[in-house]
Amino acid sequence: MTSAATGTGLTRADFEKFREYFYKRTGIQFSESKRYFVDKRIDNCVRSSGFDTFAGWFGALRLNDRPELLQELINQLTVNETYFLREDYQFDALLNAVLPQVLTARGGTGRIVGPVKILSLPCSTGEEPYSIALRLLEEWPHIDTVDVEIHGADIDSEVLARAGHASYGERSLQRVPKPWVAKYFTSVGAGRYQLDDGIRGAVTLHQINVCDTAAMRAFRDFDVVFCRNVLIYFDELSSRRAAENLYGAMRPGGYLFLGHSESMSRISPIFTPTRLPEGIVYQRPTGAK
Amino acid sequence: MGLVRRKAEPEQQPQAVSSDDLMRQLDDPDPEVRRVAALGLDGVAEAVDALLDRVAAEDAPTVRDAMLTTLAAHDTDRVAAGLAVHLASDDAELRTAAAEALSSMPISVPALVPRLLEDPDHDVRVMTAMVLADLPHPESLTWLAVMIKDDPHPNVVASAIDALLPSLGPEHTELLERAVRRFPDDPFLRFTVEAALR
Amino acid sequence: MTQTQRKALVVDDAATVRMYHTTLLGDAGFEVQEAANGLEAVEAALATGFDLFVVDVNMPKMNGYTCVETLRSETVGTPAPVVMISTEDRPGDADRAYAAGANLYLVKPVAPERLVRIARLLTSGPGVAA
Repeated sequence: MTSAATGTGLTRADFEKFREYFYKRTGIQFSESKRYFVDKRIDNCVRSSGFDTFAGWFGALRLNDRPELLQELINQLTVNETYFLREDYQFDALLNAVLPQVLTARGGTGRIVGPVKILSLPCSTGEEPYSIALRLLEEWPHIDTVDVEIHGADIDSEVLARAGHASYGERSLQRVPKPWVAKYFTSVGAGRYQLDDGIRGAVTLHQINVCDTAAMRAFRDFDVVFCRNVLIYFDELSSRRAAENLYGAMRPGGYLFLGHSESMSRISPIFTPTRLPEGIVYQRPTGAK
Repeated sequence: MGLVRRKAEPEQQPQAVSSDDLMRQLDDPDPEVRRVAALGLDGVAEAVDALLDRVAAEDAPTVRDAMLTTLAAHDTDRVAAGLAVHLASDDAELRTAAAEALSSMPISVPALVPRLLEDPDHDVRVMTAMVLADLPHPESLTWLAVMIKDDPHPNVVASAIDALLPSLGPEHTELLERAVRRFPDDPFLRFTVEAALR
Repeated sequence: MTQTQRKALVVDDAATVRMYHTTLLGDAGFEVQEAANGLEAVEAALATGFDLFVVDVNMPKMNGYTCVETLRSETVGTPAPVVMISTEDRPGDADRAYAAGANLYLVKPVAPERLVRIARLLTSGPGVAA
């Protein structure tokens, strides 16, 4: 019996209820074929949160009595690892589609007033903003003629300190082409590599809470924002406020990338979804509204 | 050219704007000014009335969303009552946005529910089921069961069944079967109940 | 089969309604995909073409009217038929639906055979979804 295989004895009806709840809450849908994967992870969540049964845990989850229950569930059901060039197809989209459109909207190369501004939020230990920097330097033909500002922001001062130090293990760098590692990193021993001063110095780091409207007013006129795999953790009101604060940080027509399994459709209608060959991105509308 | 660091100017903190100024900006002709003002009034109790007064007439969707985000964070009787009137609005945008905001207000909404369940307009009762579907409150299930048992309109009953779906247990079987018997000519209700009981 | 299978998108925040419409249209030979609000429908329509949209009115994040307006706007620009189905039967609702770009506005409950007949009729021309 399946109930013997999973400690919590998830029935088919339980699975259906859970699937609908998680879809409604996050927009992520698990097919029946993921049943075993989902069962195991739910089982982990139920056990670690101290409930005896799925029903008890699910009831508390739905009533939002303990916000950490949802956080752990999402951690279990999504990949939450940071490394260089993660979800790289979005950087392809940045180079191939988004930046060309930004240049056109801003008047074409040579006529751009002020730098193109890119925000990575949350930037965690720096892999994302530095990945953007590496790809621009190595692969974007206009990098010699257009100024680009890259900003990283996170709520956690500890990860920001590590981002500033920019020292990474081999695992974090495994997707970076070897010549890039040789060119931009210095071995500092114990299998760790530090990013060179030039790039570290070019990325500005900020400590900020994306839900803090007053603090977020310091961020303005970004052409591109990467906000990946964080809004999914927020409750309804916090994710709305975060989306509205990001909207305020962007230039009209600016582009917003969410994480691969995230969608604005569960958060806020204020952005316009746009299809690129690499997937959906969101734009702050250019109209008066 | 190339990667540049932001100029070494001192971290320019945005100037703090007083609540009074923000409240005045709610009437600014520029929607972006109104939007920023509405968001900035987060946590300002004195702004609640000003926001409630303006939310229905606000024609820029982004501004209305910002007003509702700020209002819903004030989970008070005044805000709940002020938003609940819009469940009856002819403006689909407004009534669904009001329902969404109310469903994130578990402290103040429960006191309104008994009255909403008795609202003569069945469309308001459908919207009430939508609120209860997402309201994180232990009594939600009880109210939904009452709607399924007693509401005279099949669309309300169907909406309540849908809202109850994630919490359905064997204890609801009798309730659902009775709902089908009350509306024998409604094919959707029959389908829903059969699917729910499977 | 000589004709390619028609693709329908069922848009409703109520899981039971999605299930119902998906079953009816699926039994009638459509390939059916679902979306739980208007914005999700817009994203689905950006990702792939549909021959028919069945859209509810009251939905969170983006209601049915705005959804249909967006499907018809340059954001998506689909010419596929749209049937709106609502619990609302106030004066003006149908006008609003047609102004948004819907082909038909129906009030719930809709008899199953009627929905299927309408869906077949509206998709009897050449398909738009490959």
